[in-house]
Amino acid sequence: MTQAERESFMAIASGFHHGERQVEVELPVFMIGATEEEKLHIAAQIEDEARHTVFFDRFYREVVGMQGDDIMDILDASFPWVSETFVAPFGLLAYQADEVRRNPFDERARVRYGTTYFLWIEGVLALSVMKVTLSYARWRGFLPAYYTGFTATCRDESRHVQGGMRYLQQAVSKDPTMINEIHDTLRTILSVSGVISRRIYYEPLGWTDDEVRVLFFQQLRRKLNDVGIDLAPDIEDLLARVQPQLAGG
Amino acid sequence: MGPPFFSKEWAAAVGEALTAGPSPAARDAKLSEYWAFFDSIKADYPASWALGCRDLPGAPAPSYLFVQWCGGAVADCRIIGPDDPLEATYVLGMDYRDWQALHDGYDAQRTVMYRKILLEDGSLLEFFKTIYFFVEGLAVIGAVPTRF
Repeated sequence: MTQAERESFMAIASGFHHGERQVEVELPVFMIGATEEEKLHIAAQIEDEARHTVFFDRFYREVVGMQGDDIMDILDASFPWVSETFVAPFGLLAYQADEVRRNPFDERARVRYGTTYFLWIEGVLALSVMKVTLSYARWRGFLPAYYTGFTATCRDESRHVQGGMRYLQQAVSKDPTMINEIHDTLRTILSVSGVISRRIYYEPLGWTDDEVRVLFFQQLRRKLNDVGIDLAPDIEDLLARVQPQLAGG
Repeated sequence: MGPPFFSKEWAAAVGEALTAGPSPAARDAKLSEYWAFFDSIKADYPASWALGCRDLPGAPAPSYLFVQWCGGAVADCRIIGPDDPLEATYVLGMDYRDWQALHDGYDAQRTVMYRKILLEDGSLLEFFKTIYFFVEGLAVIGAVPTRF
């Protein structure tokens, strides 16, 4: 790998490293107010996210060569590669998880949480950006264990997103005013997603910023289609200013 | 060393530091467009923060650092005790040990992301529209010398 490839790869992988940890620890509260069927799905997803966190922990230890006594040591070591704007989706998720913890049966709070977690972080960010490192590893013939493990991770994520979109679709179907919660959450996310604090270069991994942005838009449209809703005109304007954020779950 | 944590003198120093904004070294570490966004928020930020310490030693808990923004500067910065009226746009709370960690250099972004500081009152979605401004402000507060 060239130095430029290594730096780009680390920036993206670190977003996933921390993103997996975040979606693992913020999911259990969502189970409290769920139906029995949803609880089965969420329980399985928590286990998946824990395995993904361990996968990235092993990647940083065994491939990158970071050393530490525990999971947090490795998270600390990879954190310098994480963009300052990471706090927008993942801090929002953390605070929404706390909102759900305080009122676990508040369906509006659950829909807002689900919009950030399943629609934006998993459905748009993760499913878009994961293509970048996977296609790079395949194109260059590098990192075979990463490629195999992360491909399995992506299959899990696709299943999580399907479950999440079904939850949102049913929530809107039961109460059409829930679309306002989805739109309000997207307004917040998109109003800060156009800001970048450091330049991440996709070109060394075979992608341009515009190509990644197109992936974002495609994923967002597909997810909205799955939920059965459109965007309000003001959200379309916000969307036009979005930059590819390096984060996933 | 500096004035005692959650003292009147510390609050005054925090107000001055927030008005001055992030250090040149902090600004150099991030892209200019990030700071342009930060500065545009700061210029018009009309809100107030009440940043609580839930378990301040020797004081009836919780106490709050009240910060009122106006016209790109801190217009009021003072300590609010548990018996004082608590009126702020956003009320947040953090444990004493996490305040100490922030002052010892713990990352402000992770302080939010790891739920060490939590929003107790105020619109969550509105708060996050200016989250970078808040996180940078928290980092500035953490850099103000104080004595625990």
